[in-house]
Amino acid sequence: MNTNKIQHVSSPALRLPLSPRPNPSGAGAKLEVPEAKPLTILRASKSSVTIEDTIPQDVFEQAVDQSEALNDQVREQFVVGGRLGEGTYAIVYAGYYRQNPEHRVAIKKIKLNAEFKDGIAMDAIREIKFLQELEHPNIIKLHAVFSTKDQNLSLVLEHLPYGDLEALWKNKDVAYGAADIKAWAIMLANAVWFCHANHVLHRDIKGNNILIGPDGGIKLADFGLARGFADPGRPMTNQVITRFYRPPELLYGARYYSGAVDIWSMGIVISELCIRNFLVPSNTDIEQITAIEDIFGTPTDADWPFVSTLPLYKMTFDPANIKRPRPHSWWLQTMGILGSDGIDLLRGMLTMNPLLRLDSQRVLYHPYFANAPRPTMKEMLPRAGGGLKQTAEDHVRMESERVERFERGDKVARKLDFGAMRN
Amino acid sequence: MSRMSRAVNGAKGGAPEGGGLLPNIRSLSLSSPSKHPATDPSSEVCPVCKSGTYLNRNMRFLVNPECYHKMCEGCVDRIFSHGPAPCPIAGCNRTLRKAKFRSPTFEDLKMEREVDIRKEVASVFNKKQADFETLRDFNDYLETVEEVTWNLILDMDVEETRERLRKYREAQKAQNSSTTRRALDHSQASDKRKGATQRKALDVSSGNTPEPFATNREDTGFSFRGLIKRKTPEPPKSFDPFDGWSIQPQYHILQDKYDVGWMTAAGKDANHSAGGYSMPAFYSQVLCDAFSGFGVFVEDEIKARETQASMDAGVGTRNAAMAAQGTKDVNMDDVF
Repeated sequence: MNTNKIQHVSSPALRLPLSPRPNPSGAGAKLEVPEAKPLTILRASKSSVTIEDTIPQDVFEQAVDQSEALNDQVREQFVVGGRLGEGTYAIVYAGYYRQNPEHRVAIKKIKLNAEFKDGIAMDAIREIKFLQELEHPNIIKLHAVFSTKDQNLSLVLEHLPYGDLEALWKNKDVAYGAADIKAWAIMLANAVWFCHANHVLHRDIKGNNILIGPDGGIKLADFGLARGFADPGRPMTNQVITRFYRPPELLYGARYYSGAVDIWSMGIVISELCIRNFLVPSNTDIEQITAIEDIFGTPTDADWPFVSTLPLYKMTFDPANIKRPRPHSWWLQTMGILGSDGIDLLRGMLTMNPLLRLDSQRVLYHPYFANAPRPTMKEMLPRAGGGLKQTAEDHVRMESERVERFERGDKVARKLDFGAMRN
Repeated sequence: MSRMSRAVNGAKGGAPEGGGLLPNIRSLSLSSPSKHPATDPSSEVCPVCKSGTYLNRNMRFLVNPECYHKMCEGCVDRIFSHGPAPCPIAGCNRTLRKAKFRSPTFEDLKMEREVDIRKEVASVFNKKQADFETLRDFNDYLETVEEVTWNLILDMDVEETRERLRKYREAQKAQNSSTTRRALDHSQASDKRKGATQRKALDVSSGNTPEPFATNREDTGFSFRGLIKRKTPEPPKSFDPFDGWSIQPQYHILQDKYDVGWMTAAGKDANHSAGGYSMPAFYSQVLCDAFSGFGVFVEDEIKARETQASMDAGVGTRNAAMAAQGTKDVNMDDVF
């Protein structure tokens, strides 16, 4: 069985666009790879047991030199430009490839943190760990990672200057329709499916983290809270996901959850695109539970087995006040733009019981995506104007086009167009 | 009166002074058409009823593009209201219809006629430079168009030119219409239905095989060099929700259930099922972790990286190469 498969894949003509990369055959040829290359960060952590203790000193130093040379080689490829913005744990700079200045990148420099003197922030590790594994058109691309002299890590990411989905629905100058929402929804669903198929939980899906690329496609970004699927019996934290997008099981304090949490967030993002407002805004976690129960009803053991065993369920549960879910007519009224199949998908994604919630694959197989209207081509998707800079660029481009037209006109025999005078 | 006769002469093919015309037309076409071309009332007299603008200031003159003889609105109503009638100007005798009468845009009727001809020709020859491979070909094309135009304006070889124009127009129409294009695509596409050969044979014998371009090749009136072949747009692809991506395990098969004591217990645990913990996702991850490394061949990854021009071939492959070199696992935690 296995040998058959290997032969099948190894013939180049039959190579399918699989990811992870289709597996080519290969003989065990000798490699010209430098020996062990720990990153320079290792030098900072002298307190604990490191490779230094197990490897002879000269070998270790040689390895460090090699790794620094490699690091310099990567760093030399990029030119760091002006500062674009600053987050809680990183500063983002504009930059470009030294070889090809047209190829712009965003360089995210992780701040040195007092908390992590001998290491780097967890967010950065998570981001690097997962982004270098995931390569998909709807997930932000990590070009390279390098460290600077002061032991700072820099992530070279795709340059996406066109804003995010939340800014888009908040911008009342931008108008969009059902086909546009469908296009965004399917791109988002593809990104989430790709994460889950590669066993990664994103855990912070929200409009802010969905960026718009230069071709109009959307890119899932910010993997600072991502993690792999946990083994059974190993608790995960429930304090993840921005509150508006947090699914009920996390609000009830579940420590063992799955990709269903991302599906809930995705459902909220899509519904926000429809109503151009937050679906379930709140100020505290308790308020959040109330807001969700207002729309989706109070869950009971009947429709969500063992929900009463969740640690925080009892905190808000009031047997005298069991809320009923909103009727279908409410969905038709507020999310009517999606059509009935779209509402069916949305309610599938926003199911209280995480085991009954659609998984990422079933989301994509939902007839909503295949039914009319076809999703808008990503190049045609509406987006906000790119600000002053973009306008300036547009002007330069138009100018060059005008010059080109003029030059061509010199060589062409003049053609009188009387067709324009037709009545 | 003298102006009138000059106009008539022009219509009948009086030799115009070629070079001076073009700028003239352009300047005229830019000005808005005037409804009252008469600037000197004494000279504007209807050649049919002899009434002039001197007595009737609101008089309008109309022409018919059939012969470009000017006459007043009253005469047109009187003569042509009851159907087609011959032109009342002596020696003309062309049959005119009322519907075709219009007020001329230009005072000079010779110009009016030339503009009409140019409009007609331009509606048939509507290619742009983008349709041609080289600038030379486009200029040759424009040359031909101008030749046709002047043939018609100067009444040279009118019958032959009109015939060629008609054929060319029909050929263009056939080429542009979607039905013929579809028929062409259909005949080109290999017919893989059952019994296709038999059906095709029947079609040929009955003589109704659709061959839309057979007639075109015979005589299209005109043929131009260097035309860029138009590509038929590709039919929209069938919808694929995964956009061409697929992740299928290559070295293992995933079962729905694995009966291992501690895993089964966890799957049945209330905490796990209440939080939505998914056992199938766990099975898939564990098997993937265990077996997907079978497909990684480091030397191929290196080769792929070297062929790629820029170094952004993926940080992942580099780390994988590094990790695979040592005795370490491909777990990314170990790299740091």
